[in-house]
Amino acid sequence: MTEATVPATFDIYRFDPGHDRVPRYQRFTLDLPPHTPILTALLKIRAELDPSLALRYSCRSAICGSCAMQVNSKSRLACETPIGPELARDGRIVIEPMRNQAVLRDLVVEQEPFWRNYDRIRPHLILDPRHPMPEGRENPMTTEEVERFKETPRCIACAACFSACPAVEADPAFPGPMALAKLYRFVVDPRDQGHQDRLLRIQTDGLWLCLRCHLCTEACPKDVRPSERIRDLKEMAIAVQGGTEHGSKHAVGFKENLRDRGLLNEMKLVRQTSGAVGVLEQLPQGIHIVRKKREVLRAPHRIEGMDEVEKIYEALDRPEEKP
Amino acid sequence: MKLAYYPGCVAQASGKELDLATRWVCRSLGIELVEFPKFSCCGSGFSDEANEVLTVALNVRNLALAEAAGLDLLTVCSTCTGMLTLANLRYQDPKVKARVDSALVPLGIRYRGTVKVKHLLRVLTEDIGVERVRAKVVRPLGGLKVGAFYGCHLLRPADELNWESAEEPHAFEDLLSAVGATPVYYRGRVMCCGFPIQFVKPETASLIAGRQIDDAKAHGADAMATPCPLCHISLDAYQNKAEKAVGHSLDLPVFHLPQVVGLALGASPEELGLGRHLVSTAPAVAKIGAGARARP
Repeated sequence: MTEATVPATFDIYRFDPGHDRVPRYQRFTLDLPPHTPILTALLKIRAELDPSLALRYSCRSAICGSCAMQVNSKSRLACETPIGPELARDGRIVIEPMRNQAVLRDLVVEQEPFWRNYDRIRPHLILDPRHPMPEGRENPMTTEEVERFKETPRCIACAACFSACPAVEADPAFPGPMALAKLYRFVVDPRDQGHQDRLLRIQTDGLWLCLRCHLCTEACPKDVRPSERIRDLKEMAIAVQGGTEHGSKHAVGFKENLRDRGLLNEMKLVRQTSGAVGVLEQLPQGIHIVRKKREVLRAPHRIEGMDEVEKIYEALDRPEEKP
Repeated sequence: MKLAYYPGCVAQASGKELDLATRWVCRSLGIELVEFPKFSCCGSGFSDEANEVLTVALNVRNLALAEAAGLDLLTVCSTCTGMLTLANLRYQDPKVKARVDSALVPLGIRYRGTVKVKHLLRVLTEDIGVERVRAKVVRPLGGLKVGAFYGCHLLRPADELNWESAEEPHAFEDLLSAVGATPVYYRGRVMCCGFPIQFVKPETASLIAGRQIDDAKAHGADAMATPCPLCHISLDAYQNKAEKAVGHSLDLPVFHLPQVVGLALGASPEELGLGRHLVSTAPAVAKIGAGARARP
């Protein structure tokens, strides 16, 4: 049975940094069945209409992670994204390279920064000699141990998260969602001896630049949920080391702050996070804001039922309750 | 309709104008707000990084208060929405529930998990409906071009919030159209405002904020509007720092969601606390006047 075709308009990003001054968009229109994967359409365009189109792909089965690109501004694997819904919604399909990576040509980007960031987290098992390795066998884990990181091994390193991340876009000090999700995997692996050391290192190597915007979790085609694993890393890092960096001081300070009145005391939190020097640094901005919003100078009222709040802290905020 | 009003910390302090505008709009649309002086802070996505179970427990206490009164919860902050929704979900995990209950049950607090957490945007578009809002408009916004800025925790993770498409939401734009504004579609509308790292690395936070404001402007926005008071701090109160980070003037007014609705429903700028913004909203409000007069 042949499916009816629909006219599909593609606007494809074209750029050769060696020759072109600026990128351009080239339009192709062809008739295709709506279930056609975008990668199939692009290969057809390259085979039949313009052999100079550059793109990366390999397995065509959403396993290799090569064909990640922007489809109508969303991070997608081209091989598993059909054209139909995109055309139905936007009337055309705009194809662009991944963000946050330099374009080498057309849809092919420089992956070196992505992999360099991955290397930052030492992405290999540092075997713990205390975890016995049975003679002639692989190093076994219990089902419960494996459950702790069951999502992360699904990662295919397609860099969709890296492309979607606003922290990566704004600051090279942030290693990116995939690197941190992979770090989580090693931190909770019982065979790895780097647990504590890995957490100490990452505290000063970008962990606290995560915005927790969940754009990575939304972009990930394999539901690895990097933002949630980064949150877990933050809580584990605090359990090991307490509040040492601005980010962890802010988290710990916020938690302590609410114990006073049940609501946030903004002025006090600045002190808790940034210390006396930080307060001085914030002073000009504080004065700027106080002109219109005098309330920032006042502590909030004390909520009713603070005795309950205090009891909840007493029950759950003890050192032995840490993850 | 009747809802448990969860204003959150900012709307009770530096973002008082959000509280004013929310009350005005709800009064005007017949939404009864029930106050709970016992509500505590949601933790804002920070306290759980120090202790998640504690934060879930505090929020389950909030949810249980609403449940005891038989009410769903109205939020006016994207982050409060996200944190309270997350507490609802995490409490379904038996391990988490056991630990949370170990603290709450001795206090006589039991939560059955029946409370829905609903942001004002969702109540206006789902429960009231844009048509009913449209019918109440007395001063259409004259085609004022407004860039909606959703705030991360109202949309993502989408499978947890279980509402709009995280990548292509339209509730806010539908509402803007209903009150006579022209919604501006730009990539930044679903991006992050930078707020969470304002105290970790201010220059990075401000650069992120500046890029979203720039993006809205590049698409022709006369103003932005946000359902999140934390985004509002980043986009309005810290816009001067965002200007430094991007290296040029921005000067784009940023409304709170209920302020935009309130203006169209006939509230005065004073009633909506517009004088409390750091970036003046006067040029945008003047445009509404001119646009409204130009209508036949």
